[in-house]
Amino acid sequence: MIEFHNVTKRFESGYEALSNVSLQLDAGQMTFLTGHSGAGKSTLLKIIALIEKPTRGQALLNRVNLRTVPRRRIPYIRRNIGIIFQDHQLLFDRPVFDNVALPLQIQGYRPQEIAKRTRAALDKVGLLNKEKSMPITLSGGEQQRVGIARAVVHKPTLLLADEPTGNLDPILSREIMQIFVDFNRVGVTVMVASHDLPLIEELDMPRMTLNRGRLILNDLAEIEPESRDGLH
Amino acid sequence: MRANVRRQRPAAVNRVSAWLLHHLQSMIFSLGKIYQAPATTIMTVSVIGITLSLPGGFYLFLKNIDAISGDFRSTTQISLFLKLDVSEKQARALEKKIADMPDVESTRFISREDALDEFRRDSGFGKSIDTLSSNPLPHTILVEPGEVDTFTARNLQNRLQAMPGVKIAKLDTEWLERLYTIIEIARRSVTIITILFSFAVLLIIGNTIRLDIQNRYQEIVVAKLIGATDAFIRRPFLYGGVWYGFLGGMISWLIVELGYLAIAGPLERLNLLYQSQMSLITFSLHDFLILISSSTLLGLAGSWIAVARHLSRIEPT
Repeated sequence: MIEFHNVTKRFESGYEALSNVSLQLDAGQMTFLTGHSGAGKSTLLKIIALIEKPTRGQALLNRVNLRTVPRRRIPYIRRNIGIIFQDHQLLFDRPVFDNVALPLQIQGYRPQEIAKRTRAALDKVGLLNKEKSMPITLSGGEQQRVGIARAVVHKPTLLLADEPTGNLDPILSREIMQIFVDFNRVGVTVMVASHDLPLIEELDMPRMTLNRGRLILNDLAEIEPESRDGLH
Repeated sequence: MRANVRRQRPAAVNRVSAWLLHHLQSMIFSLGKIYQAPATTIMTVSVIGITLSLPGGFYLFLKNIDAISGDFRSTTQISLFLKLDVSEKQARALEKKIADMPDVESTRFISREDALDEFRRDSGFGKSIDTLSSNPLPHTILVEPGEVDTFTARNLQNRLQAMPGVKIAKLDTEWLERLYTIIEIARRSVTIITILFSFAVLLIIGNTIRLDIQNRYQEIVVAKLIGATDAFIRRPFLYGGVWYGFLGGMISWLIVELGYLAIAGPLERLNLLYQSQMSLITFSLHDFLILISSSTLLGLAGSWIAVARHLSRIEPT
């Protein structure tokens, strides 16, 4: 599903966030993306979500070249991705239900269908009783779960999460991560960027590790990256 | 993934009805936004209304002047002063001949005796006139050409002038021509004012929508991230502009109507003084529809400019 061939991202400031990264994530696989802050995790996710474009190399999503995809096609590609942010990016001017329903409205679903699917997504994250609440009245963990419900409500085939547990306590973090694992079990491809190493080890999922823009560990690679230097 | 897209399609009724649905939603949503911020909306809409009421009011003023001058036009007449040696019998024959001419609607004959009587009665110089040895006034024929333009009236005047027995054919149109020129100047001024103020409305609405876009920056970013097309994001803002324009047009109509109500009294009196049959003209349904639809279009255009300039610059980072 995701293929990176020697992808380099250099920002205008000259800062190189990713250097020659090659990786592959097949449909139905799940991986954690780890590394220190500034290692390039967010940049990698942003390239997949078409927020950033690679400077060099080839980044493919379902065989679509993410560097050359025309602007007008970007919305349709994003509709197959569910994105979860550390700061959950909820809209605070409308209730939980409307937040979660947004992707369906954008894609032009019928109101009855929207209601059905939105409630199903809220049920999945355990927030069905909060549909009329305003996001500001929810706790941090609840807000993050609303963000997850919004990311999965339109049944995307790929789920990207950038530090989804960054602001949460260990118990809540485990709950959130478990939701991702559950989605992966039903066939969704999942990539979660996180530096919560103890939790990741506990979950026993494949890992990819970035260090200063280089991929130094890839549990999903048949041949380990040459640049790995004895970590594991 | 492609198969997945196809699997999801049937949920959306179909492209057209989904599109229509979103248009309806955007329309109601943007109206809701306006309703949620009544103070801002009332201010914006009032500014638009006041701005548009100026060209609207001038237009109505012009329309009234036009109607009154049209009234004058129908009273254009040519006074034929006959030579003193023309007898009453000859004069009456001449009148008959003129009455049969095309372009002539009616004629009236005033004999020199009647004219003198009238003069004696109205002028207050009765006694001095009695001292005159003979009547200095000629027979007069008043010719009404009916509703004709200035050119036809002049033409008729020349033909009458050339008739035997006629000393002077006087067409009193100079003051009317002056009036028409003034009206024409006023008309062009109204055009200029309309263009300028329409432009002002365009800027007001454009700026309001620009601020609206800034205020909803977060929402736009989120919508783009979850796959909203530019058209989808644009729509509520365009409808916002449409509402501003529509409501502004309604307010300007209200202002003009109220303004005319305020000056209706004295205008009515003025009309009486000029013995005009005209009653005050306000906006017709046609004028009203033109006012509202053009202000609505201005709203759409203003928001379109703002959206085109500012929306595409917002990208998630």
